[in-house]
Amino acid sequence: MFAVLLLISGRATAAQTMAVSGNPGALHITTAVPGSQPTSVSNNTTTYTVTTPNANKTYRITAQINANMPTGVTLTATFAAPAGATSIGPVALDVTARNVVTGVPKSTNSTQNITYQLSATAAAGVIASSTRLVTLTVITP
Amino acid sequence: MTKRILSTIAFLVGAASAAPAQTATQTITFQVDAINQIAFSGSPSLVINTATAGSNPTGATAAATWAVTTNQTGAKITASIGSNMPAGLTLSVDLTAPAGATSAGFQALSTTSVDLVTSMTKLAQGALTVSYSLAATPAAGVVSSTTRTVTYTITGGT
Repeated sequence: MFAVLLLISGRATAAQTMAVSGNPGALHITTAVPGSQPTSVSNNTTTYTVTTPNANKTYRITAQINANMPTGVTLTATFAAPAGATSIGPVALDVTARNVVTGVPKSTNSTQNITYQLSATAAAGVIASSTRLVTLTVITP
Repeated sequence: MTKRILSTIAFLVGAASAAPAQTATQTITFQVDAINQIAFSGSPSLVINTATAGSNPTGATAAATWAVTTNQTGAKITASIGSNMPAGLTLSVDLTAPAGATSAGFQALSTTSVDLVTSMTKLAQGALTVSYSLAATPAAGVVSSTTRTVTYTITGGT
Protein backbone atom coordinates (compact mmCIF):
# COMPACT_ATOMS: atom_id res chain seq x y z
CA MET A 1 0.00 0.00 0.00
CA PHE A 2 2.77 2.45 0.86
CA ALA A 3 4.67 1.74 -2.35
CA VAL A 4 1.61 2.30 -4.50
CA LEU A 5 0.95 5.71 -2.97
CA LEU A 6 4.52 6.90 -3.67
CA LEU A 7 4.22 5.93 -7.31
CA ILE A 8 1.01 7.88 -7.79
CA SER A 9 2.46 10.94 -6.10
CA GLY A 10 5.38 10.93 -8.57
CA ARG A 11 3.08 11.04 -11.58
CA ALA A 12 1.09 13.96 -10.19
CA THR A 13 4.13 16.29 -10.09
CA ALA A 14 4.77 15.85 -13.82
CA ALA A 15 2.27 18.56 -14.76
CA GLN A 16 2.95 21.35 -17.21
CA THR A 17 4.47 24.51 -15.78
CA MET A 18 4.64 28.17 -16.72
CA ALA A 19 7.00 30.83 -15.39
CA VAL A 20 7.98 34.37 -16.39
CA SER A 21 11.23 36.25 -16.02
CA GLY A 22 9.67 39.26 -14.30
CA ASN A 23 7.62 42.32 -15.08
CA PRO A 24 8.24 44.48 -18.13
CA GLY A 25 9.12 48.14 -17.77
CA ALA A 26 6.33 50.69 -17.87
CA LEU A 27 4.67 51.24 -21.22
CA HIS A 28 4.51 55.00 -21.59
CA ILE A 29 3.00 56.87 -24.54
CA THR A 30 4.37 60.38 -24.75
CA THR A 31 4.09 61.71 -28.28
CA ALA A 32 2.44 61.56 -31.67
CA VAL A 33 3.16 62.42 -35.26
CA PRO A 34 0.89 65.41 -35.90
CA GLY A 35 -2.25 64.25 -37.67
CA SER A 36 -1.80 60.66 -36.51
CA GLN A 37 -2.83 58.76 -33.42
CA PRO A 38 -0.39 58.75 -30.49
CA THR A 39 2.74 56.74 -31.15
CA SER A 40 2.58 53.21 -29.77
CA VAL A 41 5.29 51.86 -27.49
CA SER A 42 6.46 48.32 -26.89
CA ASN A 43 8.53 46.24 -24.52
CA ASN A 44 10.19 42.92 -25.29
CA THR A 45 12.41 42.50 -22.28
CA THR A 46 10.64 39.62 -20.61
CA THR A 47 10.40 35.93 -21.34
CA TYR A 48 8.28 32.97 -20.39
CA THR A 49 9.35 29.42 -19.77
CA VAL A 50 6.96 26.59 -20.46
CA THR A 51 7.45 22.94 -19.66
CA THR A 52 5.16 20.12 -20.61
CA PRO A 53 5.16 16.54 -19.39
CA ASN A 54 5.86 13.50 -21.42
CA ALA A 55 2.22 12.82 -22.00
CA ASN A 56 0.86 12.10 -25.43
CA LYS A 57 -0.93 15.40 -25.87
CA THR A 58 -0.33 19.02 -26.90
CA TYR A 59 -0.85 22.17 -24.89
CA ARG A 60 -1.81 25.77 -25.44
CA ILE A 61 -0.99 28.99 -23.66
CA THR A 62 -3.60 31.63 -22.92
CA ALA A 63 -3.32 35.17 -21.62
CA GLN A 64 -5.81 37.50 -19.99
CA ILE A 65 -5.79 40.63 -17.86
CA ASN A 66 -7.64 41.24 -14.63
CA ALA A 67 -9.59 44.26 -15.91
CA ASN A 68 -10.28 45.59 -19.36
CA MET A 69 -8.15 48.42 -20.68
CA PRO A 70 -9.55 51.97 -20.70
CA THR A 71 -11.57 52.90 -23.77
CA GLY A 72 -9.26 53.71 -26.65
CA VAL A 73 -6.24 52.03 -25.09
CA THR A 74 -5.08 48.62 -26.30
CA LEU A 75 -2.55 46.27 -24.72
CA THR A 76 -1.31 43.73 -27.22
CA ALA A 77 0.89 40.74 -26.46
CA THR A 78 2.92 38.61 -28.82
CA PHE A 79 4.37 35.35 -27.55
CA ALA A 80 7.13 33.67 -29.51
CA ALA A 81 6.44 29.97 -29.90
CA PRO A 82 8.57 27.03 -28.74
CA ALA A 83 9.73 24.58 -31.39
CA GLY A 84 6.78 22.73 -32.86
CA ALA A 85 4.22 25.20 -31.51
CA THR A 86 2.44 28.09 -33.20
CA SER A 87 2.30 31.69 -32.09
CA ILE A 88 -1.05 33.35 -32.65
CA GLY A 89 0.78 36.65 -33.20
CA PRO A 90 -0.33 39.93 -31.67
CA VAL A 91 -3.32 39.43 -29.38
CA ALA A 92 -5.27 42.28 -27.80
CA LEU A 93 -5.64 41.40 -24.15
CA ASP A 94 -8.85 41.66 -22.17
CA VAL A 95 -10.55 39.80 -19.35
CA THR A 96 -11.20 36.79 -21.56
CA ALA A 97 -8.49 34.15 -21.71
CA ARG A 98 -7.22 34.18 -25.28
CA ASN A 99 -4.87 31.79 -27.02
CA VAL A 100 -1.43 33.21 -27.61
CA VAL A 101 0.44 29.98 -28.43
CA THR A 102 -1.05 26.68 -29.54
CA GLY A 103 0.24 23.23 -30.28
CA VAL A 104 2.96 23.12 -27.66
CA PRO A 105 4.34 19.58 -27.95
CA LYS A 106 4.89 17.15 -25.11
CA SER A 107 8.26 17.18 -23.36
CA THR A 108 8.80 20.86 -24.09
CA ASN A 109 11.13 22.94 -21.94
CA SER A 110 11.49 26.25 -23.69
CA THR A 111 12.07 29.92 -22.88
CA GLN A 112 10.63 32.39 -25.35
CA ASN A 113 10.22 36.11 -25.76
CA ILE A 114 7.15 38.16 -24.83
CA THR A 115 6.45 41.47 -26.58
CA TYR A 116 3.90 43.87 -25.17
CA GLN A 117 2.64 46.85 -27.15
CA LEU A 118 0.56 49.73 -25.84
CA SER A 119 -1.45 51.83 -28.28
CA ALA A 120 -3.93 54.60 -27.69
CA THR A 121 -6.20 56.81 -29.72
CA ALA A 122 -6.34 60.54 -29.20
CA ALA A 123 -9.89 60.03 -27.97
CA ALA A 124 -8.53 57.97 -25.07
CA GLY A 125 -7.23 61.16 -23.53
CA VAL A 126 -4.65 61.29 -20.77
CA ILE A 127 -4.28 58.11 -18.74
CA ALA A 128 -2.58 58.24 -15.37
CA SER A 129 -0.18 55.47 -14.46
CA SER A 130 -2.16 52.26 -14.15
CA THR A 131 -1.50 48.54 -13.90
CA ARG A 132 -2.97 45.33 -15.20
CA LEU A 133 -2.18 41.81 -14.07
CA VAL A 134 -1.56 39.46 -16.98
CA THR A 135 -2.24 35.81 -16.24
CA LEU A 136 -0.57 33.25 -18.48
CA THR A 137 -1.91 29.73 -18.38
CA VAL A 138 -0.66 26.55 -20.00
CA ILE A 139 -3.40 24.03 -20.43
CA THR A 140 -4.40 21.09 -22.54
CA PRO A 141 -6.75 21.90 -25.43
CA MET B 1 -9.65 -5.56 2.84
CA THR B 2 -8.30 -6.19 -0.66
CA LYS B 3 -11.38 -4.57 -2.17
CA ARG B 4 -10.89 -1.46 -0.02
CA ILE B 5 -7.25 -0.99 -1.17
CA LEU B 6 -8.15 -1.25 -4.86
CA SER B 7 -10.82 1.39 -4.47
CA THR B 8 -8.33 3.79 -2.94
CA ILE B 9 -5.84 3.26 -5.75
CA ALA B 10 -8.44 3.88 -8.43
CA PHE B 11 -9.41 7.19 -6.86
CA LEU B 12 -5.83 8.45 -6.63
CA VAL B 13 -4.97 7.56 -10.21
CA GLY B 14 -7.99 9.52 -11.42
CA ALA B 15 -6.83 12.61 -9.56
CA ALA B 16 -3.30 12.41 -10.97
CA SER B 17 -4.40 12.14 -14.59
CA ALA B 18 -6.36 15.44 -14.43
CA ALA B 19 -3.31 17.70 -15.00
CA PRO B 20 -4.13 21.11 -13.53
CA ALA B 21 -3.67 24.29 -15.51
CA GLN B 22 -0.48 26.09 -14.54
CA THR B 23 -0.25 29.85 -14.46
CA ALA B 24 2.22 32.69 -14.16
CA THR B 25 1.50 36.39 -13.82
CA GLN B 26 3.07 39.66 -14.90
CA THR B 27 2.19 43.18 -13.86
CA ILE B 28 1.97 45.66 -16.72
CA THR B 29 2.28 49.35 -15.91
CA PHE B 30 1.08 51.82 -18.50
CA GLN B 31 0.49 55.53 -18.94
CA VAL B 32 -0.54 58.02 -21.62
CA ASP B 33 0.75 61.55 -21.25
CA ALA B 34 -0.84 64.74 -22.48
CA ILE B 35 -0.04 65.00 -26.18
CA ASN B 36 -0.35 68.20 -28.22
CA GLN B 37 1.46 68.13 -31.54
CA ILE B 38 1.10 70.28 -34.66
CA ALA B 39 2.96 70.43 -37.95
CA PHE B 40 2.84 72.87 -40.83
CA SER B 41 4.14 72.21 -44.33
CA GLY B 42 5.07 74.56 -47.10
CA SER B 43 6.76 77.96 -47.31
CA PRO B 44 4.29 80.04 -49.25
CA SER B 45 5.24 83.15 -51.18
CA LEU B 46 2.94 86.13 -51.58
CA VAL B 47 3.52 88.81 -54.20
CA ILE B 48 1.37 91.86 -54.83
CA ASN B 49 1.93 93.20 -58.30
CA THR B 50 -1.25 94.76 -59.58
CA ALA B 51 -4.33 96.74 -58.71
CA THR B 52 -7.66 97.64 -60.10
CA ALA B 53 -7.45 101.27 -60.99
CA GLY B 54 -8.98 103.30 -58.23
CA SER B 55 -8.63 100.53 -55.65
CA ASN B 56 -5.94 99.39 -53.29
CA PRO B 57 -3.42 96.91 -54.69
CA THR B 58 -4.91 93.48 -55.26
CA GLY B 59 -4.17 91.19 -52.36
CA ALA B 60 -2.30 87.93 -52.80
CA THR B 61 -3.15 84.55 -51.33
CA ALA B 62 -1.30 81.31 -50.80
CA ALA B 63 -2.07 77.97 -49.22
CA ALA B 64 -0.29 75.35 -47.18
CA THR B 65 -1.36 72.48 -44.98
CA TRP B 66 -1.29 71.64 -41.32
CA ALA B 67 -1.96 68.68 -39.03
CA VAL B 68 -2.76 68.25 -35.38
CA THR B 69 -2.96 65.60 -32.68
CA THR B 70 -4.24 66.33 -29.22
CA ASN B 71 -5.56 64.01 -26.56
CA GLN B 72 -6.74 66.83 -24.35
CA THR B 73 -9.95 68.84 -24.17
CA GLY B 74 -10.13 72.46 -25.33
CA ALA B 75 -6.70 72.84 -26.88
CA LYS B 76 -6.07 75.91 -29.04
CA ILE B 77 -3.63 77.22 -31.62
CA THR B 78 -2.17 80.69 -31.64
CA ALA B 79 0.21 82.37 -34.07
CA SER B 80 2.59 85.28 -34.16
CA ILE B 81 5.42 86.61 -36.33
CA GLY B 82 8.91 87.55 -35.26
CA SER B 83 8.62 91.22 -36.24
CA ASN B 84 5.69 93.33 -37.27
CA MET B 85 4.86 93.84 -40.93
CA PRO B 86 5.92 97.05 -42.68
CA ALA B 87 3.40 99.88 -42.39
CA GLY B 88 0.56 99.42 -44.87
CA LEU B 89 1.12 95.69 -45.27
CA THR B 90 -1.07 93.12 -43.56
CA LEU B 91 -0.30 89.42 -43.45
CA SER B 92 -3.27 87.35 -42.35
CA VAL B 93 -3.78 83.64 -41.87
CA ASP B 94 -6.76 81.34 -41.61
CA LEU B 95 -6.58 77.74 -40.38
CA THR B 96 -9.28 75.30 -41.36
CA ALA B 97 -10.54 73.82 -38.12
CA PRO B 98 -10.41 70.09 -37.48
CA ALA B 99 -13.64 68.26 -36.68
CA GLY B 100 -15.46 69.73 -33.72
CA ALA B 101 -13.13 72.72 -33.32
CA THR B 102 -13.67 76.39 -34.14
CA SER B 103 -11.64 78.53 -36.54
CA ALA B 104 -11.35 82.25 -35.91
CA GLY B 105 -11.11 82.87 -39.65
CA PHE B 106 -8.50 85.22 -41.12
CA GLN B 107 -6.50 86.93 -38.40
CA ALA B 108 -3.85 89.62 -38.98
CA LEU B 109 -0.46 88.53 -37.70
CA SER B 110 1.82 90.59 -35.51
CA THR B 111 4.27 90.02 -32.73
CA THR B 112 1.33 89.51 -30.40
CA SER B 113 -0.11 86.00 -30.45
CA VAL B 114 -3.61 85.66 -31.81
CA ASP B 115 -6.01 82.74 -31.47
CA LEU B 116 -6.61 80.87 -34.73
CA VAL B 117 -8.34 77.64 -33.70
CA THR B 118 -10.00 76.88 -30.39
CA SER B 119 -11.97 74.05 -28.78
CA MET B 120 -9.90 71.22 -30.18
CA THR B 121 -10.73 68.08 -28.24
CA LYS B 122 -9.12 64.64 -28.48
CA LEU B 123 -8.51 64.40 -32.21
CA ALA B 124 -5.92 63.52 -34.80
CA GLN B 125 -6.39 65.11 -38.19
CA GLY B 126 -4.12 66.01 -41.07
CA ALA B 127 -4.29 67.64 -44.52
CA LEU B 128 -5.99 70.73 -43.13
CA THR B 129 -5.71 73.96 -45.11
CA VAL B 130 -3.71 77.00 -44.12
CA SER B 131 -4.67 80.12 -46.07
CA TYR B 132 -2.38 83.16 -46.12
CA SER B 133 -3.40 86.56 -47.34
CA LEU B 134 -1.22 89.60 -47.98
CA ALA B 135 -2.85 93.00 -48.33
CA ALA B 136 -1.21 96.37 -49.04
CA THR B 137 -2.26 99.95 -49.26
CA PRO B 138 -0.72 102.37 -51.79
CA ALA B 139 0.89 104.07 -48.83
CA ALA B 140 2.99 100.96 -48.22
CA GLY B 141 4.92 101.76 -51.34
CA VAL B 142 7.28 99.25 -52.90
CA VAL B 143 8.49 96.60 -50.51
CA SER B 144 11.36 94.40 -51.61
CA SER B 145 11.28 90.65 -50.95
CA THR B 146 11.28 89.96 -47.26
CA THR B 147 10.28 87.13 -44.99
CA ARG B 148 8.45 86.53 -41.77
CA THR B 149 8.50 83.35 -39.77
CA VAL B 150 5.10 82.47 -38.40
CA THR B 151 5.24 80.67 -35.08
CA TYR B 152 2.28 78.44 -34.32
CA THR B 153 1.74 77.25 -30.80
CA ILE B 154 -0.66 74.63 -29.55
CA THR B 155 -1.75 75.03 -25.98
CA GLY B 156 -3.16 71.97 -24.30
CA GLY B 157 -6.49 72.05 -22.62
CA THR B 158 -7.44 69.88 -19.72
